[in-house]
Amino acid sequence: MSRKRVLTARSLRRLEGTLFIAPWVIGFIAFLGFPLLFSLYMSFHTVKILPNKVAYDFVGLKFYREIILNSSALYDKLIPYFQEVVLMVPVIVIFALMISILLNQKLYGRFLFRAIFFLPVIFSTGAVLLQFINQGEGNLGFLERFELGGYLDTFLGDSSWAKPVKEVLNHFVLVLWYSGVQILIFLAGLQTISTSAYESARIDGATPWEVFWKITLPAMSPFILLNLIYTVVDMFTFPSNPVIELVNTGNYGFNSALAWIYFFIIIIFLGLVILIYSIMNRRHAKNYA
Amino acid sequence: MRTILSDAKGRRFLTKRRIRQARNLVLGKEINQGLVFKLILYAVLIITSYIYMNPMLKMLVKMVMNVKDLVDPTVTWVPSSIYLGHVAEAWKLLNYENSLMISLFIAVSVAVLHCISCGLAGYALARLDVPFKRTIFFLLMLAFIIPPQVIILPTIMVYTKLGLNGHLITLILPSIFGFGVKGALFVVIFRQFFMTHSKSLEEAARIDGATALKFYFRVMFPLARPAILVVFLFSFVWTWNDTYYPRMFLSPTGDMPLAMKMTFIDTALGQFIQNGGFPEYMAEPIKMGASFLTILPPVLIYLFAQRYFIESVERTGLVE
Repeated sequence: MSRKRVLTARSLRRLEGTLFIAPWVIGFIAFLGFPLLFSLYMSFHTVKILPNKVAYDFVGLKFYREIILNSSALYDKLIPYFQEVVLMVPVIVIFALMISILLNQKLYGRFLFRAIFFLPVIFSTGAVLLQFINQGEGNLGFLERFELGGYLDTFLGDSSWAKPVKEVLNHFVLVLWYSGVQILIFLAGLQTISTSAYESARIDGATPWEVFWKITLPAMSPFILLNLIYTVVDMFTFPSNPVIELVNTGNYGFNSALAWIYFFIIIIFLGLVILIYSIMNRRHAKNYA
Repeated sequence: MRTILSDAKGRRFLTKRRIRQARNLVLGKEINQGLVFKLILYAVLIITSYIYMNPMLKMLVKMVMNVKDLVDPTVTWVPSSIYLGHVAEAWKLLNYENSLMISLFIAVSVAVLHCISCGLAGYALARLDVPFKRTIFFLLMLAFIIPPQVIILPTIMVYTKLGLNGHLITLILPSIFGFGVKGALFVVIFRQFFMTHSKSLEEAARIDGATALKFYFRVMFPLARPAILVVFLFSFVWTWNDTYYPRMFLSPTGDMPLAMKMTFIDTALGQFIQNGGFPEYMAEPIKMGASFLTILPPVLIYLFAQRYFIESVERTGLVE
């Protein structure tokens, strides 16, 4: 009898757990799982919307071939944007790390500075930010002042990197605006380092420079990975992201294929970020062991 | 002889101490305690904040410049008078009262629903005995990285089939289940928060024979105030700022939230300038006024909540 009661208690708990998670799972199927598979299905078909029904003609990999072999959407818009992302991600993460270390010092008026550096999260509306970008706000002004544009031209020449580099420099401050959440994550991360670690390092005669490389940075490394992933994911919705314009209701099959290619590029991107991170982490651990 | 020597020693010792005191004041015992360091720190922070806020400040200044100041190249920062005409124009172009109410309605309901639905899922993943927990967690990560562009077209088709397309409810519906703008992230935040809580409360409740649902809403949910604050603010702000879903789901002529109205302001302004015969340079201050009006409500909420907010982020255990 007692055994039976244990079993029912356990299954009751499972039932409760299922009850709690059920809405989310239903939502996942309805709002993510089904659309995901359906868009995969559509990417292999020509979709014709007729007055009373939708017709699907199987075309195989036609759209994928079209996009990869010759499409301006992929090569003129998406790839340059991904080059921009390659530049923006380290800028954002390094800036966020620097600012959070500064803000973590004991300072009078720290709250004010924290509020300032987090404020952009509140107003980086796609639309508002786009207005700023279009008006050429947010450049540091040094491009013109020191005629850096010319240097950039000679240095990068006609390589495909010239345009992304200039784009990023032109709205550099707005790129920095995307570091609000990252600063918060780093700030919270810095609280996890105990002060005794710093004290004992100082007693052992370590310089602040060494303390940064041997204590702060290793302790922050999981947060750096977290921020790298968050930043890459966040860039999907950056208002100058061309994919927002590209995937529309014009041609369902073609656009679904494009969206899937975009998704694959992002997964490769995330994979690369994690790979680079783990290589650097290992090397760092070896150097400062 | 001896006394003289020790006297000299003592004096030398004293001066040394004084020098050290002075040095400690200026440079600090540790490098991050001295006056010089503090000054440098302030300088760096103030300069960076200035660069950071520059586009914002420019927006505020441009917005209140009158026509004379706009064409005058000597006026860059301080306008000769505060002119609110541009803001009034922007108000009219945005159809402000109407769009504001829509935006508030959508953002508040989404934020509240996110707090409830994501809290449930987060609690289940953190504490309860859920079958296939690992699989569900994997799906959660998947939900976090799937770009909305991949799933948007089938969603539109389903909404059209259900006759919901163009309805404001399409923006709220996913949040009932914990989806919508960055829903997966909010589940993770709640999960992390509940993970850091001690288990003793649950054990006590179980001995008392309380059901999980009752216990959750009576005890755990009220305890999760920091996490709720963070999720509510993020959800509110991101839903407020989102232009992607409204543009895909709503019709371009009907009612729309403020952020979406902003994306149409270029065309609206073009017409306005042509019809009224205004010069081109009028467009920019009106746009800045519209931007200001769009971001004003979230900024007000943030200014009110920011103190609790930043503390809450540190307490949510977001980072473990």
